[in-house]
Amino acid sequence: MPDTTPIPVTVLTGYLGAGKTTLLNRILSENHGKKFAVVINEFGELGVDNDLVVDADEEVFEMNNGCICCTVRGDLIRIIGGLMKRKGDLDGIIIETTGLADPAPVAQTFFVDEDVKARTRLDAIVTVVDAKNLPARLADSREAEEQIAFADIVLLNKMDLVSPDEAAEVERRIRAINPQVEIRRSTKSDVPLEAVLGRDAFNLARILEREPEFLSGDDDHEHDSEIQSLSFEAPRPIDPEKFNAWISGLLAQKGQDLLRTKGILHYRGEDRRFAFQAVHMMADGDFVGEWRDGDPRRSKIVFIGRDLNRPQLRRGFEACQVEDTAAA
Amino acid sequence: MSETAQDSDFLLESRGVSRDLGAWVVGIAWERGGGGACGFGLGDGTVRVARPAAAGEEWANAPAHEGGACLSLCADARGGFLSGGDDGRLVRVAADAAVEEIARPARTRWVEHVAAHESGVRAAAVGKAVHLYDANGAALKTLAHPSAVGGVCFDAKGKRVAASHYNGASLWFVGAKEDKSRVLEWKGSHAAIAVSPDGTHVVTAMQENALHGWRLADGQHMRMSGYPSKTRSLAFTARGRWLATSGADSVVIWPFHGGGPMGKAPTELAGGDGVFCTAVSCHPQHEVVAAGFADGLVLLSEIASGKVVPVAPPGRGGVSALAWNGSGTHLAFGTETGFAGMVDLSRR
Repeated sequence: MPDTTPIPVTVLTGYLGAGKTTLLNRILSENHGKKFAVVINEFGELGVDNDLVVDADEEVFEMNNGCICCTVRGDLIRIIGGLMKRKGDLDGIIIETTGLADPAPVAQTFFVDEDVKARTRLDAIVTVVDAKNLPARLADSREAEEQIAFADIVLLNKMDLVSPDEAAEVERRIRAINPQVEIRRSTKSDVPLEAVLGRDAFNLARILEREPEFLSGDDDHEHDSEIQSLSFEAPRPIDPEKFNAWISGLLAQKGQDLLRTKGILHYRGEDRRFAFQAVHMMADGDFVGEWRDGDPRRSKIVFIGRDLNRPQLRRGFEACQVEDTAAA
Repeated sequence: MSETAQDSDFLLESRGVSRDLGAWVVGIAWERGGGGACGFGLGDGTVRVARPAAAGEEWANAPAHEGGACLSLCADARGGFLSGGDDGRLVRVAADAAVEEIARPARTRWVEHVAAHESGVRAAAVGKAVHLYDANGAALKTLAHPSAVGGVCFDAKGKRVAASHYNGASLWFVGAKEDKSRVLEWKGSHAAIAVSPDGTHVVTAMQENALHGWRLADGQHMRMSGYPSKTRSLAFTARGRWLATSGADSVVIWPFHGGGPMGKAPTELAGGDGVFCTAVSCHPQHEVVAAGFADGLVLLSEIASGKVVPVAPPGRGGVSALAWNGSGTHLAFGTETGFAGMVDLSRR
């Protein structure tokens, strides 16, 4: 009987020349005994002859629901539908995007399409960046910044071309955009495959598992990128109704500027943690098990986006708490 | 066989044969003409061929797309089957399971949709293109679309071919000297497509859990919505009075007569147990619909009376393909988990 466990999907983004193709070639040629389907764009230059390399045109479709940031990759819906029909022999799917691609439609496809949702799970968004050229890319390209904002893992590649100081500065720039991201340094994309595959980073149970290494808690740090990250904590339990009303209004109004939102919430009278994530306006949330003994039950939310109003977001989140006296 | 007490109530038990084919049943087609063989296109790249006259014997195994998957199967123009695969090949599978490559329009792209008409013309959709071939396999033309094609079909006469895509569908004359399509516009992504038997309407299934239709005479739009999931399968009844669709927890039937479907509510057949319909096929003469559901249930329903006859019990995977033979005496079905059945419904 064909397997019905969802197939993990890794999204590989990164600017032209950063080393995506090198990484892909390694994944395909290394002797790991696994079978991956690789979806590439037509400008890809894969050196490996593999039955399961699929050429795709990046077809970004607007969903017909009146929301302009609600875009999906129509080609992926078709391709994943096709791959699911193969005899259950796939260990994973890797989707390479073009250098200039906005990662949002790819991620949103996994929230929107019921078949894709039922048969696959988004494992992680991996962004390969060129340590030497990243500062220049961040200066001239909106997409380079977005790719970092969306990433779960950044592969800081071509480390042989930068000095330790330059490397530290590049990492600082990356963390200013996305403080939760895991950064792996590499030369010629030489990281263990476990570092990029099978990471389960979109699992609600693992949301905000990584503590931000650079908490942008203070307002005084310089904003050298257009995209910023804000995180807030709430000491008192959250009222689910207030939170739902606030977050749905916020995503509807501000979703275009909010690239990724992640939260772990302590709901009033609830021993389980509630995890929440959104890509632009598309949100997903569920209870993900009990709070660990001894861990403080504090709710936390992180926004990555453009043009964010810190005081307003903080006030909004704090207002979702139950009244002081009613603490559970 | 399942252990349920009602197994004997299902026609598969008394009048059918079944097989575990071991791979997703992607498409089912019955041979045109007198041959009467039934082809099952599978996700393991093979096409299995069964003959109702000798259904109990081994079903022939045609290696249509080695190492790949069959993505679409239809009856070929003149006997045998046409199969499109993720190996980029368009092949013909004969009733004796012989495989012949008609074309390889792509290397790293897929032949996602195929269609054929008894007049001898064949169509294969690869990405944004629909390639047309004649009965001998010679390439006739390539029709270009603005985005990837989500479905392709011929009209009843084989004169026009319709392809769905992003923001609408395109209608082409097969024999036109100069290829210019009539573009039927509607915002959104369109997949499964059907042309009414009289050639007056085109209907597509959309990404947004709705159907969209166009009346060709005046371009009138028809929006058919309210589905809880995506419609994957849609079919007109023999004389085109009804359109049967999957995607709801009943078989949703839209009236294409008496001024409908505009302003008319659809009829719902065989609903009520909360399981989505996943495949439909209309009887070639009578107003009877065969439907398959996500739990594996297969049934027949008569539109006029709403009467339901069970064919196969739930429990062997969601029904992924379903087809009547040309004379309406046999029904074949297959599931995502590779279960396949063929039932003899002729008078005894």
